[in-house]
Amino acid sequence: MRKEESLVAHLDWPLFISFMVMLITGLATLYSVAYSELHPAIYDVSMMYGKQLIWVLVSLFLGLMVFLIDSDIYRRFAFPIYGFTLLLLIIVLFMPAVHGARAWIGIGTMGIQPAEFAKISTALLLAKYISGISVKQQSISSVMTASAILLVPMALILLQPDAGTFVVFTSFLFVMYREGLTFDPIILSFVNSIPGVRFKETWVGSHFIPILFVMIFISVITLLLNSVKLDFFFLPFTVSGSIGVIFTLLIFSVLSILFLQRFSAKRERSRGTVIIVLGFILTSGLSFVVDNGFNSLATHQKDRIELFLGLREDPNGKDYNRNRAMAAVGSGGLIGKGYMKASVSSVESNHVPESETDFIFCPFAEEWGFLGILFFFGVYLFMLIRIILIAERQRSIFNRVYAYCVGMILFYHFAINIGMNIGFAPVIGIPLPFFSYGGSSMMSFCMMMFILLKLDSQRKDVLR
Amino acid sequence: MNFDIRRYVILSFIILVGFLYTFRLFYMQVIDDTWTLRAHEVAEKRVEITPPRGVVFDRNGMKIVSNRTYFNLMMVEDEIKHLDTAAFAKLIGWTVEDVRNRFKEIVKGEGTYYNKITKKRTSNYQKIRKYPFLKELTLEEISRIAPHLENFPGFQEKVTSMRNYPFKSGANIMGYLSEVNREEVEADRFYRPGDNIGRSGIEKFYETELRGRKGIKYIVTSALNNAIEPFADGKYDTTARQADPLKLGMDMIIQSYGEKLMQNKKGCIVAIEPSTGEILAMVSAPSYDPNLLVGKQNISKNYPKLALDKNMPLFPRPLQAEYPPGSIFKLVQSLIGMQEGVITENSGFPCDKSMVGCHNHPSARNVAEAVQYSCNPYYYAVVRRIIQQGKKKGIFADAEYGLNKWHRYMNSFGLGKTLDADVSGQRPGLIPDAKYYDKWYGHHQWAFSTIRSISIGQGEVKLTPLHMANIAAIIANKGWYYVPHFVKSIGRKGPLALYRTKKYTMVHSRHFAPVIEGMRRVVNENGGTARMARLEHIMICGKTGTVQNPHGEDHSVFIAFAPMYKPKIAIAVFVENAGFGGTWAAPIASLMIEKYLKRKISDKEKEKRILEAKLAYISNQGE
Repeated sequence: MRKEESLVAHLDWPLFISFMVMLITGLATLYSVAYSELHPAIYDVSMMYGKQLIWVLVSLFLGLMVFLIDSDIYRRFAFPIYGFTLLLLIIVLFMPAVHGARAWIGIGTMGIQPAEFAKISTALLLAKYISGISVKQQSISSVMTASAILLVPMALILLQPDAGTFVVFTSFLFVMYREGLTFDPIILSFVNSIPGVRFKETWVGSHFIPILFVMIFISVITLLLNSVKLDFFFLPFTVSGSIGVIFTLLIFSVLSILFLQRFSAKRERSRGTVIIVLGFILTSGLSFVVDNGFNSLATHQKDRIELFLGLREDPNGKDYNRNRAMAAVGSGGLIGKGYMKASVSSVESNHVPESETDFIFCPFAEEWGFLGILFFFGVYLFMLIRIILIAERQRSIFNRVYAYCVGMILFYHFAINIGMNIGFAPVIGIPLPFFSYGGSSMMSFCMMMFILLKLDSQRKDVLR
Repeated sequence: MNFDIRRYVILSFIILVGFLYTFRLFYMQVIDDTWTLRAHEVAEKRVEITPPRGVVFDRNGMKIVSNRTYFNLMMVEDEIKHLDTAAFAKLIGWTVEDVRNRFKEIVKGEGTYYNKITKKRTSNYQKIRKYPFLKELTLEEISRIAPHLENFPGFQEKVTSMRNYPFKSGANIMGYLSEVNREEVEADRFYRPGDNIGRSGIEKFYETELRGRKGIKYIVTSALNNAIEPFADGKYDTTARQADPLKLGMDMIIQSYGEKLMQNKKGCIVAIEPSTGEILAMVSAPSYDPNLLVGKQNISKNYPKLALDKNMPLFPRPLQAEYPPGSIFKLVQSLIGMQEGVITENSGFPCDKSMVGCHNHPSARNVAEAVQYSCNPYYYAVVRRIIQQGKKKGIFADAEYGLNKWHRYMNSFGLGKTLDADVSGQRPGLIPDAKYYDKWYGHHQWAFSTIRSISIGQGEVKLTPLHMANIAAIIANKGWYYVPHFVKSIGRKGPLALYRTKKYTMVHSRHFAPVIEGMRRVVNENGGTARMARLEHIMICGKTGTVQNPHGEDHSVFIAFAPMYKPKIAIAVFVENAGFGGTWAAPIASLMIEKYLKRKISDKEKEKRILEAKLAYISNQGE
């Protein structure tokens, strides 16, 4: 009885409630998208929502299991679990291809996708490894080992091929960054090999990962907006996409300088301002260079890049998801069309293919409009920030690293999936957590969350 | 080393992306409407319902243009399953080969467009769209096919309407409809491929008044083009509305009668109600049954035949044939002469045949007698005085001044320019001015003697029969006219503003009496040239003309109005290659007038003579 009590007592209710809100909203959205008058019951298992309901119930049951089992097993069995998922990732390569990818073990809808579960096992092993490194973290061998933990499953996933999940795995780099496992030692060893040079650290090396991601993010958005003419309501003329990016960066820089002036200590003001100004110059310069560089490319090179970004299909062809998805999202307006009134993105109308899986954000945005989005973003951001806060309050490094992994994976899914729907990210198929139809992703995200909640609830046991 | 600061880097990443996406979504959903429009384009379909065209009544309230229901057999390729081509061909009475070719023809007929993204030419044809497989089936034809259509999924019937002309008259005036072409679809958003548009005549002139308002139903559709539900519960739907009927000033009884009188002849009759300018009849002979040019099938079958017919039935003579007016022109010359003061109504000139030929008659002692005798030397003298008034130094400069003045007079009679009647395809005729002759002879190189043939309506002068009838109307009104027009009212509205404004000529009304007296004598006195037009109970005033034709027999022309007091009809009759004006044109005019005013013909012999006459008409092989 005492055990039961402590279970609920140490549960992080804010995170748990936001998680449940997401789960219910997601199920309700799927019900609306796939609704059929012939099968109105949500538990009708011949329909997608019926199946999804089963997956949710199974996930909740697994969550209960997670809570009943002592959290120590994740640390202890991290390596066997990792090994087992690697085995599954190898087996899956011998399975028949579905839609051109060998991602499924099993038949049809009852199959599972090992790549989804590989995220959890990699997170666990990474947490175990990082928590095991004793004093000197910034060594070449520790960075290389941690990278290897990621690279093996990533390589197997790329063979399927599943570009989306592959990209999601790079989220672990942020976790390594947080834990000080950056590529700085490698860069230092090169720099210090020059005679007379003796650096303890390089700024670029330490912050290599965020810098790289900012660069990629800005480049991708610039390329996606390359051919778009932006029409700002307060400007009398249209501006090209990259100018829009630079303009947005300028607004953000000015806002953050104002923020800095108002809230930060005097000593840091000048330093922060210089960093922001420098950052603005570098990022807008990058956007400008990418934009012009792209325009000066030969046609066939352009074609290849546009193909990668998913810009090359016929706007009227049935495959052109992005254009249709953006039409659906944009037509939501301020207050949306109302629940079950998604005329563009419902499964029945089928104007947005995959609107029940990768593009499920569309019907949500179409039905609830901008106000619904504010609610959605609010809950999602709250959840992510809450996870980071939970991570930072852990006394065990294992727990902290694992929590960061969960936070970063969810952040990646959030950023890329919604980015796909609003034209900010290339169309690489990754699901929206708790929303997209699919058993494997639903179970994997729920397990991920329940393990986190369990670890957090037992955070004080570590000292005991 | 402390890495705790890095948590803020990560947190700021999360928050930054959250804010960036929020701004982007605010822009996409609230500010920019591009995507909303794109969503409409993607998910909604406009279904258009074309109403039947507006009907047309004549002045007596008889429906002269109506609509008849037809059926199209539509097909959607995507819905066609296991088509038994042989059975289908048998059902519609075609060969299997015909059916296969028709499919190809439909695809080809849609054309192609250049797809900028795939950089290929792509067909406009879409498998999910409806296309007419067979057009314009009658009720009998469709009722034979329709019961079997359930065996042929992908094919269905669709009701459509086409023009119907119960009187088979006035073909050239009504005009005809045909399918819109690509340019017309691009120029006016009203039209969709397959719609009909007025091609000529009244149908063309009153296109916007006749086409009505299309009904539009917005339907939410799926990607496969299936209708899902009415958009916004039909809030934005509009219902189709048929256009208001047009009421013409035309009297269908005399229109048909005129066409009958003109059978086996070439020429025209134009009758106008002088007090309103409404056109009572406009006969173009030979003509054709307007029902021959209804619908695509009929047009493709009959149009080439009509276009190749040597009698030119498609040529709207009353509007487009430009003839020298001959002696009827003398009426206008008299009026101008009197207004200019170069003659008075009592001026007399000897019939001096030295300069210009004339027939034998006593010399005219006044204007009325000049009109009665149609004396050529008299008008030679009058027009010389008009052109050479001696107001400028030198004979050439004087002629230039005089001719331009004369030209302005003629213009005020509506001559030498198009009359702006409400029918497409009118010609202006020709009234020469100084510039015209300068081009021929050089500046100051010509004088009256050079151009004298204009005084008797020969030479360069050309009028259309509509102009000629309008002259009769002006004289009947003693100096003014309404622009001749067909449409009396559009729904509850009257005619267009243009037709409600009186136009005055430059000749004062007091000068008309002697001319009218002369015209009375032409018909009603012995020695007049149009005794054959005389009627017992109706006082007709008229003027004959015989137009010299260097290519063959002279043309016979007659203009008139009746009755003399309070005229109700002004008429011009022009019979090609018929010889003397009094022999053919005058009796035809009198029959028309009698038919219009009395509704019956007293002199059956006269009527019989006209009906039996065959003048310069080329009979077609096999008819």
